[in-house]
Amino acid sequence: MVDKKEILRRAAKSVLEADQEEAERVAREAVEAGIDPFLVINEGFSKGMAEAGELFERGELYLPHLIVASEGMVSAISILEAAMTQKKEKKTGVAVIGTIEGDIHDIGKGIVATMLRVYGFEVHDLGRDVPLKNFVETAKKVNADIIGSSALMTTTMTGQKTLEQELKKAGLRDKVKTMVGGAVVTQRWANKIGADAYAENAIEAIAKARELLG
Amino acid sequence: MKEILTRMGDGERVTMSVSQVKEDLEAGTRDAADRGKIPELTAAELEQLLEIFQDQNRIVGVSPGEEVVLTHDIGTLRLMGDQANSGVGIPLSRMQGILIHERAFAADTMELGHIDYSFKPIKPVISMEMQEYELASLVTIVPLFYGAMPNLGTYFRPDGPFGNPSDLLPQGKIREAREAQEGAAEHAARDMFYISNKLYSVGCDGINFDTTAAAGDADFYATLNAVAEIKKAMPSLTVEVGMAGEFILGIHSELFFNGERLAGMYPHRQVKMAEAAGADIFGPVVNTNTSKSMPWNLARAVTFVKHTVEVSNIPIHANVGMGVGGVPVFETPPIDCVTRTSKAMVQIAKVDGL
Repeated sequence: MVDKKEILRRAAKSVLEADQEEAERVAREAVEAGIDPFLVINEGFSKGMAEAGELFERGELYLPHLIVASEGMVSAISILEAAMTQKKEKKTGVAVIGTIEGDIHDIGKGIVATMLRVYGFEVHDLGRDVPLKNFVETAKKVNADIIGSSALMTTTMTGQKTLEQELKKAGLRDKVKTMVGGAVVTQRWANKIGADAYAENAIEAIAKARELLG
Repeated sequence: MKEILTRMGDGERVTMSVSQVKEDLEAGTRDAADRGKIPELTAAELEQLLEIFQDQNRIVGVSPGEEVVLTHDIGTLRLMGDQANSGVGIPLSRMQGILIHERAFAADTMELGHIDYSFKPIKPVISMEMQEYELASLVTIVPLFYGAMPNLGTYFRPDGPFGNPSDLLPQGKIREAREAQEGAAEHAARDMFYISNKLYSVGCDGINFDTTAAAGDADFYATLNAVAEIKKAMPSLTVEVGMAGEFILGIHSELFFNGERLAGMYPHRQVKMAEAAGADIFGPVVNTNTSKSMPWNLARAVTFVKHTVEVSNIPIHANVGMGVGGVPVFETPPIDCVTRTSKAMVQIAKVDGL
């Protein structure tokens, strides 16, 4: 019998050690054993990713390692996601997500987009270096519930403030919730620009997105 | 209880109680010690920092005899550039900027810098820079550096010939990203040597490698190799290596200098690399956290810099400016923060210059 605790431990370790094959293997074993995929993602892969992120932030783990680690996680999550497709009862909401114009960092944003999908959101990932008008136009087109923007630089975070203004101008601000994230972004910044929520990581982003939509 | 008026790392004014400041000072030094695996500040040093914050004066300073060398990087542009360029937008020539810093601001050293402030774009206009440097050096008394950033990013597409690691890494092309960085580092080191050599021929006092390692470990690698070559060929040319961040980002992660992996190095290890390359002055950087208070940030910065001073055999000129050294991330750094940081760096970290 597959030990649930052991699966979670291996899932975290596979991400931390950037072992993509092991991450996929663990995901498949979890599906076969009927372990709740949400649990495997939250308590396994995400925990490993959080630890890897912390080590990277301290200069104890390097970018190539982090890239491989996140690829392994995304790959494992896609296996779990496929297993969850039939379980999804209804759409949680529609989210438009992207990295602000001028900013090409999208690893964190990509993980948030994947996690939103896992949790039943219809996600429109606009990618990186996204012109602000694209957020507004897409939100209008797909009738978005949430717009998430990411910025990793002080020079691009001001785009999040402009986005708030552009949404007001387009008459959308009261219809959508806005979320901000990225290395330089803080709760204080979110308060200052009038965003509905700030999230420090993917797990927090999911929790806040669900909270915002009640 | 008496309250202390200070700031957050983004410059916002906040009021804190004495015990809150004490807590943040302790947490700041603990964080630096934990990350850098270095000693925390002593109780007496933390008390000294608290006194600096308790001082009611907007501007604080050091006693006569304690003064240190004050240098200015990107100095010529500081007055000319507008606020978005961390300046004050006064229309001046570079020569006027240098003279104002020397004669009006009493700077101990000054530097000439190109408007782009990166090494690569200087190459096609090097003759102009040599001429401008020579003219400036004839009318200044203080040592005059030529400053620029290694800025390895200018060697990646679309600005340069090598593949961009920011594109390659997300595609999982790690080997290609590493090769691109190695190629860029080789080109950058060659350009830095070429430019330094040309300036040396017109009597340049020194080269300031500013914002080193901004593009990660390959940027640092290129700079160290350039410095080693420069000092071998031009031993009398002073070299200052100033950093971009508190630790070397491992974008390549497999680059070594003097037998040590560069990725992940904190200031006290960076300085040993600069020393090994032959640098004469080292400028450590400690980043400011915008979500934390200035006491937290300053205690943390002083902890890193103090240890760097202790292990270094060359003079340490700490970076004190927007977003570094404990100073808030604010285009025009508030004077209360800049002077408190300067005082702490001199009296507690024992820096040789700022």
